[in-house]
Amino acid sequence: MELDQIQTIITMMKENDLAEFAMEENGLKIHIKRSPENAQPTVTVSAPAAGTPPAALTAVAAAPATAPIPDLPAEDVKHITAPMVGTFYRAPSPEARPYVEIGAAVEEDTVVCIIEAMKVMNEIKAEMKGVITDVLAENSKPVEFGQKLFAVKPR
Amino acid sequence: MFDKILIANRGEIAVRIIRACKELGIRTVAVYSKGDTDCLHVQLADEAICIGEAPSKESYLKIDRIISAAEVGDVEAIHPGYGFLAENAHFAEVCEGCNIKFIGPPSSVIKAMGDKVAARDAMRKAGVPVVPGSDGLVDSEGDALKIARKTGYPVIVKAAGGGGGCGMRVAHNDPSLVTGYHMARAEAERAFGNSAVYIEKYIENPRHIEFQILADRKGNMVHLGERDCSLQRRHQKLLEESPSPALTNDLRKKMGKMAIKAAQAVKYVNAGTVEFLLNPDGEFYFIEMNTRVQVEHPVTEEVTGIDIVEEQLRIAAGEELGYSQKDVQFTKAAIECRINAEDPFNNFQSSPGRIEFLHVPGGHGVRVDTHVYGGYVIPPHYDSLVAKLICYGRDRRMAMDRMSRALDEFIIRGIKTTLPLHQLILKDPNFRRGRYGTSFIDRLLIDRQPLVSSAKK
Repeated sequence: MELDQIQTIITMMKENDLAEFAMEENGLKIHIKRSPENAQPTVTVSAPAAGTPPAALTAVAAAPATAPIPDLPAEDVKHITAPMVGTFYRAPSPEARPYVEIGAAVEEDTVVCIIEAMKVMNEIKAEMKGVITDVLAENSKPVEFGQKLFAVKPR
Repeated sequence: MFDKILIANRGEIAVRIIRACKELGIRTVAVYSKGDTDCLHVQLADEAICIGEAPSKESYLKIDRIISAAEVGDVEAIHPGYGFLAENAHFAEVCEGCNIKFIGPPSSVIKAMGDKVAARDAMRKAGVPVVPGSDGLVDSEGDALKIARKTGYPVIVKAAGGGGGCGMRVAHNDPSLVTGYHMARAEAERAFGNSAVYIEKYIENPRHIEFQILADRKGNMVHLGERDCSLQRRHQKLLEESPSPALTNDLRKKMGKMAIKAAQAVKYVNAGTVEFLLNPDGEFYFIEMNTRVQVEHPVTEEVTGIDIVEEQLRIAAGEELGYSQKDVQFTKAAIECRINAEDPFNNFQSSPGRIEFLHVPGGHGVRVDTHVYGGYVIPPHYDSLVAKLICYGRDRRMAMDRMSRALDEFIIRGIKTTLPLHQLILKDPNFRRGRYGTSFIDRLLIDRQPLVSSAKK
């Protein structure tokens, strides 16, 4: 196995968001693991031994942070992004229920979250019609301008 | 000393500030626009927060987003760099109100010096010589004509609300004054949102001499010598050097004392620069004070050995200077060339784009302050400064020879830069003799057309 073949596998893994790749061919074993925080995937290669079985391939998809609604082609998903810098809150107060959950229908004027900036609680509107398919920001954590907050399947 | 600060800027000055912070053990938060995700300051800071779309007014000029980022980043202070909000008194006020230390002078001082007419007034009262001209704002064409005739042509109409070459018009006679007056007002309105103008006598081909000031919160103040910034094009500096070839030791002492007087008159704190015009007769006049760290600060750093950004951080954190004027030593001569992404042989047309190949000069007496790297794409939204090349040595001759050598080594491919223009300047016999004023560049480009054409190849 050449270095550029390994590089090609790593690129394919990144493009398809795969977390793990393992392969055996003629006794040559390759195991590549990638985690979101780690820029460098770890690659383990073992040298071939004599009389080895043919290639066996397994690939494992990266585990998502929460359970999104699957099977959506990329073009069908829009995002609600942060229009300001601040702290993201899912609910109007710590005891209240979140403004929206996965599966909730939203209109342009639906308030989906709060971003607190300079002690002001700003209600953020969906500004699109659709269904929430994923929550991408963490409650009471800072968000920056343009950061994806929710994934929405538009109607 | 601060634990964590935010840098409200981008590019080379943000890198400069982050470097000083790292050396002092201060953690850094960078802010960036969507056009700057690949900028070096974002990579070097400990944390980075996106604050808006690429255009400056959607990001680096958004006070609310910068303050939000400061709160989210939990910082104690903000360094504004130069440009953007660095001399925005309102921004400094907001920081003060939010209990975030603004690394610079108090907002009241920024306001006092930001109003160029009020600044002239304050200087006159303090006994600092100012350029003769209008006593205050000029409100009408009629007044403009009266004052211009009284002062004596040529005169210059200048915007009261800002500098940097904007809202300025020179007039040699009544008709050009009338047009100049109206055009300056219109330009000032667009650039600063304030069309107020004043009139000064126009000093032909002056030298622009500025003095670096450092003052702590206890009132201790020193000057770090002068920088000669006479080499300009359309009021934009291209090259700066220290010491100025035009100053005798006597004149330096006199001007230094005046610079301190000027800064003391407004109770200045932190780093600032007092600007004078020097006419060929040896008379000098205050024109304005810059209440921020300047682009050309490295020149003074190499001459004196004092780290100006570090001093800014120390002063803002409440430390005393710890030294007095007699402790400031001027041991070197230094020159800085501003390398811009512009084509000097095609009317300085902007040249943003990808740097395909970069080779930065090095060696004894060479310093390069830059945010660019091979493969970096210079965005079109911000200023065209690519790198600052600073060369220094025991005297001016050594600094110039080093600069020539370093300019020859410097390779930037993929964009047009002003490198070849600087090579021409350093070879010019008048420049080498220290004989130049603010009209030098225009004359160089016209007179040396044959040299310019061969330099293009």
